[in-house]
Amino acid sequence: MTVTIALPSKGRIRDGSIEAFEAAGMRISAVGNERSYRGRIDGIENVEVAYLSASEIARELGRGSIDIGVTGEDLVREDVAALHSRVAFRSRLGFGKADVVVAVPEVWFDVETMADLGDVAADFRLRHGRRLRIATKYWSLTQQFFSAKHGIQVYRIVESLGATEGAPASGQADIIVDITSTGSTLKANHLKILTDGVILRSEVCLVEALKDRTEEDRDTIESLVSRIEAALRPA
Amino acid sequence: MAHRPAFSDGILEFFADRDTRAVEIPVLQPADPFLDTAGEDLRRRVFLTQNELGDMLCLRPEFTIPVCLSHIETAAGTPQRYSYLGEVFRQRRDGETEFYQAGIEDLGNEAFAEADARAVSEAIETLARLLPAGDLQVTLGDQTVFEAVVVALGLPEGWQTRLIRAFGDAAQIDLLLQNLAGERRAAEGLDSDLAAFVGSGDMAGLTDLIDRRMHETGFLSNTSRGPAEIAERLVEKARLSATHLDPKALDILKTFLALNASLDEAGGSLAAFSRIAGIDLSEALTLFESRVAALKDKGARTDAIRYRAAFGRPLDYYTGLVFEISVRGSVLAGGGRFDRLLTLLGAPKPIPAVGFSLWLDRIETALDGGAS
Repeated sequence: MTVTIALPSKGRIRDGSIEAFEAAGMRISAVGNERSYRGRIDGIENVEVAYLSASEIARELGRGSIDIGVTGEDLVREDVAALHSRVAFRSRLGFGKADVVVAVPEVWFDVETMADLGDVAADFRLRHGRRLRIATKYWSLTQQFFSAKHGIQVYRIVESLGATEGAPASGQADIIVDITSTGSTLKANHLKILTDGVILRSEVCLVEALKDRTEEDRDTIESLVSRIEAALRPA
Repeated sequence: MAHRPAFSDGILEFFADRDTRAVEIPVLQPADPFLDTAGEDLRRRVFLTQNELGDMLCLRPEFTIPVCLSHIETAAGTPQRYSYLGEVFRQRRDGETEFYQAGIEDLGNEAFAEADARAVSEAIETLARLLPAGDLQVTLGDQTVFEAVVVALGLPEGWQTRLIRAFGDAAQIDLLLQNLAGERRAAEGLDSDLAAFVGSGDMAGLTDLIDRRMHETGFLSNTSRGPAEIAERLVEKARLSATHLDPKALDILKTFLALNASLDEAGGSLAAFSRIAGIDLSEALTLFESRVAALKDKGARTDAIRYRAAFGRPLDYYTGLVFEISVRGSVLAGGGRFDRLLTLLGAPKPIPAVGFSLWLDRIETALDGGAS
């Protein structure tokens, strides 16, 4: 059997993933030409490398069609339902760090916490004839955080596929749930993060899809994970 | 197709005899009214689709909202009693995703106690025709009584609304009770200009300043929260942070939430509670007692109904009575009063409403002798 590892196909997160494997003594070379979307690890026979987009990797992990994926924790937690029975976060790779946060206009001087936001959401329909609108691409993380953790039931999610931080100023939404690494984009758009509004501190992770495997494949995965961990956190 | 239980026709006949009009509700419904009223949390549980214009549609997840919408659309007069029986569709971890529900919605009856009692006793009667009456466990709660306690305790307004909002969600109520004493503080991140206006209570000046800041930072003051609303809440927050919470008030609230008595004794327990706590609940208790009396009139076994003070539903359109009926731990019927729902859905004036819904699949399981 072979173990399939999916690595991000583009950008800094691709480079970082390849570096993490190389630091653990596993050099990845392309199969076929240099621009191929398939690769292998030199010296390890039963591993295949596939390059996919970061969000495809999260989805394929959920389906169990790959064995290991390197992608953002935010995408996995957002896209994979019944998370704990389907995937395991095996290694936090220490790059691609960013937070999924709740941000409101700076001029909402009276709103600093989720409890404040709960008050505002509860009154919103009465004052404005509609529910509070949240622009986000993180439907599921937003629901869990607002409904389950903070008991805020009444709001509407507005799907936002890009430039989410512009939604409050343009009137498409009142507040946003978005990912930020430095916070500079939020600041530039005059948004502030609530003091208890960090939903998730995300980074790029090595994630295993939980499924039945041969003993050989399990050993391959364990050895791979321990080499990566040893390189990241030498004893 | 879900299986239609054999006793469905019996239920429909019973409903018809009870002065109701059967309504037909299309399976495919606009999704917005459900998500607007019941919250985004419902999104995980409904089956969503789109038409070619991009309008979001869903398979009906329940009947109350579409029944009320159809009442508004047809501009039917009140009072009006509707009944329904049909499939609903929900994503569930366990159990079928399509199953039958039946129920009655009683709209526009101004005699609250009478209408409440009718809903409870009709739900009980429907079930008692199918299952041994002794197996039915009826639990009843009352948001009005909880609200009266919170108001009578003289808690600051902001805390009152938070507590009332969380009523029925035990975990949130616990969290609130823990946090209330310590949490409230004045807005800290305010710069000195804002703080000066808040300190002096100059609402006009504060509103003007916020308006200017809004324009400077590129927000429209008319599409979302406006300067006046923000100013008002800032001042309210400052006022709250200065008030001190009496720990005794929280103890009283905890004592209340732990009340659990048979409906026969509940009135007495509540009266004793209000006497010991030193708060006046007479208005809410009068309604409570007249509901009990109306239930007795209808022949309901009030000694077998449990009143639990903490029992409620944390959705903002529920207003007074809530109840559920279970057999061996499986909830077969749920109901309550939702006086705010019709205006939320667009009715031009408030319409009092109470109703109940039966889970026919669970009733069938209970008939087969199994638990949930």
